[in-house]
Formats: sequence, structure tokens, C-alpha cells
Amino acid sequence: MDLLTILLLTAAVLLTRVSNLRLGINIVIAQSSIVAIACVIIGIQTGQVHMYIAALLTVIIKVGLISYALYRVLPYLQAEREIVKPNFSTFTAILAIILVHGLISKALPSFAAASTLPAAISLSFIGLLLIMTRNQALMQIIGLITMENGLYLMGLSITQGLPLIIELGIFFDVLVAVVVLVILTYRLKLSLATTDTGLLKKLKG
Amino acid sequence: MHEIILLALTIPIITGLLTLLQRNQAVVSGINFIGSAATSTVLMYIIYVITQQNVVSSQYFYVDHLSAVMLFVVAVLTFTATLFSLSYMEKEVHEGSITLVMLPRYYGLLNLFSFAMISVIVVGNLGLMWVAVEGTTLASALLVAFYFNRDALEAAWKYVMICTVGICLALFGTMILYYAQVSVGAGGPALDWVTLKNMSEKLDPAIMKIAFIFILIGYGTKAGLAPMHTWLPDAHSQAPSPVSGLLSGALLSCALYALVRNTIIVQGAIGPEFAHYMLLALGLLSIAIAIPFVLTQHDVKRLLAYSSVEHMGIITLGLGVGTPLAVYAALLHIVNHAIAKSFLFYLAGIVTQEYKTKSIKQIYGIARVMPLVATMLVIGILAITGTPPFNIFTSKFYIVLAMFENQQWLLGGITLILLTGIFAGMMYYCLKMGFGSEPNEKHRFRMSFTTMTAMALSLIVIVTAGLYLPPVVNSVLVQAAEIVVGG
Repeated sequence: MDLLTILLLTAAVLLTRVSNLRLGINIVIAQSSIVAIACVIIGIQTGQVHMYIAALLTVIIKVGLISYALYRVLPYLQAEREIVKPNFSTFTAILAIILVHGLISKALPSFAAASTLPAAISLSFIGLLLIMTRNQALMQIIGLITMENGLYLMGLSITQGLPLIIELGIFFDVLVAVVVLVILTYRLKLSLATTDTGLLKKLKG
Repeated sequence: MHEIILLALTIPIITGLLTLLQRNQAVVSGINFIGSAATSTVLMYIIYVITQQNVVSSQYFYVDHLSAVMLFVVAVLTFTATLFSLSYMEKEVHEGSITLVMLPRYYGLLNLFSFAMISVIVVGNLGLMWVAVEGTTLASALLVAFYFNRDALEAAWKYVMICTVGICLALFGTMILYYAQVSVGAGGPALDWVTLKNMSEKLDPAIMKIAFIFILIGYGTKAGLAPMHTWLPDAHSQAPSPVSGLLSGALLSCALYALVRNTIIVQGAIGPEFAHYMLLALGLLSIAIAIPFVLTQHDVKRLLAYSSVEHMGIITLGLGVGTPLAVYAALLHIVNHAIAKSFLFYLAGIVTQEYKTKSIKQIYGIARVMPLVATMLVIGILAITGTPPFNIFTSKFYIVLAMFENQQWLLGGITLILLTGIFAGMMYYCLKMGFGSEPNEKHRFRMSFTTMTAMALSLIVIVTAGLYLPPVVNSVLVQAAEIVVGG
């Protein structure tokens, strides 16, 4: 479990250095796969069937359908690259991880031992960071998926997962959100000839 | 009873699917007219049942007086929005803003949007409520982007990004709430509202405080409370006008409803003060932030959008004062605002379609070209700024009255001053657009029968609700306020 947490955070930190969109998608798929494996491991540890279903759903929706949607729009975005300041982003991401670990172990010592909760919250933070600092539409979507992965992991670590019907709803919402955003990205490319959302600042006042 | 709620949820879905299969414009319009009328009738019937037996609940659904108030808003607005859409969208097709092929898609999404809003109100589980609120964002996102031009895409992108991140925070809060429930150790269905309410005194106060902050920020983003309101003016101004009306009147109210449901639980756990102060702060900030934008506005739909931020602020203030009178007034204000604001957005739709611009500078002399529309516009603006004898005056008056009764002199005073600022801005632009010389080459505008019906329906509510509130409405509101205040 610890190994998975480390892998997960490494993937997230790597994501802050990526400027190639295809690589970004691959990393986020790897991240979702790790979350699915984590579900299976918790399932083996606790013996809950629920966890296996959650793992299956993660694989189908996040690894399967969402990456399919992202790959569908990728061919239209050949020339698009994210211009990043890698050292700054990575530094902020690592700082977030350290701060979250510090705060959690101080405020909720009972959870710090598990190490999943701080990792989950840092993952959400890194996702949020990506959404805020990235201009490429696709990188923002990747940030959103990262954030959602973090939230999902948090749910797993503190409550052994939400009831199945709610979880299904959340998965469905994430899927639809990504599909809607992919449609918008495609349309952005069609009408603006670029997917740089930094240009979207006409509506003001 | 369970079946009737399911019926209310299935009618919009069926209508939407049927619409998507059609190509003929007249058939599409017909199906949607019947569909929305049926949905509203069923919703009204649910409200009627609530007045008879107080609560309808089953495993996943829970409808009480508080839900009834919101169901009324959604019932009226889906009906008027669909009615207004009929001729509005027909004209958009006629003028080439959209193609005929896009029309079924529009109605399909509109029905999906109604479905999502109804499900927010009828589900009795806070987790599913979260799912439904996120569903409303996704259903309406493609409606905001409907014209797929540069501005619409920008608005939709911001809308989805800001609201999804916001709503993710609400999910975070909901998970913490679930953790609080699990750690008490008592059984009962997870995140079920009634279960949580009954055990709210046992929930850990420290955890509930953290949960409330996240829930407030999350649903507050969706409800357009400052400083998380930045998506709102963009989305409202770029969406087709009937959708703007629905977004402003019904969607924001649904988000507030989700917030209120969560607040009731939090109040039970940590007492009302903490939640009330937070709500008061956000409410006051929302009103204050709207003022400069209202005073220096150049776009008629953004003007109305900022007015929505202001009104969500007023409602939040009412909830924050928290006395039975204030909550009663806040709930009444939700209904009044929804109807008056959607009415104004429809009017703005007519005006922008006739003048082919949203810029206030280029709109003048409406009274000469469209006397009826101008009259309605003046009535609408007078109503929305809280002038007697229209409906919003009553609810605003009660909210401010409740503040003074609750010894919150400073708060009441500041609110009144801020409201004056909004009044000045709204009236200034209203008079500027309504009067003045006649623009060249304008032919007289004829309002179609369906549009007329939609407008008349809203107008009747705006005028009569200011003078007379039927006892049954009053009793529903009083009991809904009791649910919110707790006990």
C-alpha cells in the first residue's frame, strides 16, 4: 500500500513537469490504474466485495472510457503544447505534499499512520494546482481527473468508500464531465484554432 | 406516492428522448409543450399531496414542505421556459443563429436539465443530492455553450471548470459528513437526510465544522455566492435567454436548497451561530460585490446576472439571520426572485432578438417599438428592485424587518444602503433602454401567443403575490421555515 502511495504521488509530481499532452494523458491513466489496484488491495485486506466492484468501475470508467475520450480528441491537438515552468510547479507540488502530511499528522494523528489520507489530499491539491496554473484545455481536464482521483482515494481511506449507489453516481458524473469538457475542447480548437484557455478572457465586468 | 415522484422524473427524460428522434419543428414544439405541461402538473400534484400529508418518503426519495417550495419554482419555470423557448428558438432558427438540426438537441438538453433539477429536490440522500447537483452543471453546460461561438465557449469552459472544482469541494465536505456519521457508529442508511437529522446531536462538532466549510464553499459556488460567483455573469449572458432564466431562477435555487439541507444537519450538531455567521458574511459580500458591476454595466443580460448574485446574497442573508420570520422571507424570496428574474430574462431575450445586440448603449426607445414589452420591462425591474406593490418587496421587507427584530441594526442598515445602490443602477439602465427616441427602421413587434402566455403567467404571480398570498402558500412556507430553523 505504501509503495502504491509513493507511486501515486510520484505520478502526480511528474504531471507537473509534463508539457506533452499525450504523456500527460498516459500518466493520468497510470494514476487511475494505481487507484484501482489500491481498491483491490483494500478489498483483499478487508474482504469487502464492495471494493472489488469499485476497482472494476475505476478500470472501466477512468482507465477505459475517460482515456478513450481523451485519446479521441488528441489527434486534433497535434501542435498544442503546454508551456510550463517545471521547477516552480514541481516545487509547489512537493511543498503541498509536505505541508499536507505535516498538518494531517498534527491534527489527526490517528490517520497519519495510514498515510493514504495525506496522499489523497495532496493529490487533490496537485490536481487543483494543475487546473489553476495550466493553460492548455486538456491539461486542465487532466488536473480535474487528478483532483477527483484524490477525492476518491480520500473517501476510501477515511470511510472505506461511500455506498455503492452514490459511488456509481459520482463515477457517472466524472465521466460525463470529462466528455462535456472534451466536446468543449474540440469546439475550442474548431473556432479559436487553439486550445489555449489563456486566451479566454474576453468576458469581463 | 413513490410512483408519482418517479413519474415526475421520467416525463422529462421521455420527452427529451422523443424530441431527439424528431426532425419536424412543429412536432418538436408540440411534444415539448405537452411534456413540460405534464411535468409541471405532476410536480403541482406532488405539492398538493405534501399539503395534505406533510411528508412523502421512500428509500431514495424524501419530499417535505421545504422541497415543495422548490418544486413550485421548478414547476413554474420549466413550464414558462419551454413556452417561451417555442417562439424564441423558432426565431433563432429563422434568423440563422442556429440551424434546424440543432433544435431537437436544444430541447433534449433542456429536458435533461429539468430532470437534473427535479432530482436534486426529490432525493433524500445527501450523496445522491451531490450527484444530482453536479448533474445540473453538466446538463446545462452544453446549453450555455449552445451557440458554440467564441464567447459561448469561453463562458461554458469557465462554468464547467469553476463549478466542477467547487462541487468537488462539496463532495469533500459530504465525505467528511459521512465520516462523521460512520464514526458515531449508529446504523442507518449512509448519508440519508432523515437519519442524519435524527442523529445530528451526536455528530462530532469539530468534524462537522470542517465539513460545513467545504459544503458551503462547494454549493455556494454553484449558487453564485460571492466571491465564487465569477462563472455566473458569463454563463447567464451567453446562454440562450430561456436557459438564462432557468439558470438564474431555478438552478441557483436548487444549489441553495442543497446547501440548506446540509446546513440543517450542521446546525443540529454545532448549533446555529457558526453557520449563521458564515452565511451572513457571504450574503452581505454577494450584495456588495454586485453593486459596482450593476452600476457600470454595458450588457443587459450581465446586468440581470449580477442582480441574481445580489438576490442570492439577500436569500443567504435571510437564512443567516435564521429567525423563523427571516427564513420564511428567504424562502418566499427564492420563489419571488425565480419568477421575476426569469420574466426579466425572457424580456431581455425578446429585446436582444429585436435589437440584435446585448449592449445597453445600442438599446433605446423600447417603448416606441414595443410598448407592451417596455411596460413589462418597467414592471419587472420595479419588481426585482423591491418596489411595492410587487412580490419581491414583501420578501425583501420581511428579511430586513427580521434583521431589525433580531437586534441586528447595523446589518439591517448596511443591507438597506446596499439595496439602494442596486436600485439606482437597475432603474438607470431600465429607463435608458425603455425610453428615448425611436430607433430607425424598426417595425412593430408582435408577441406570439405562447410567449404571451408565458409572460402573462409570470406577471400574474409578480403582481398578485405582492398584494395577496393564498393561505395554503403561506402555510407551506411557514412549515418549510420550521424545517429549516430546526425542531
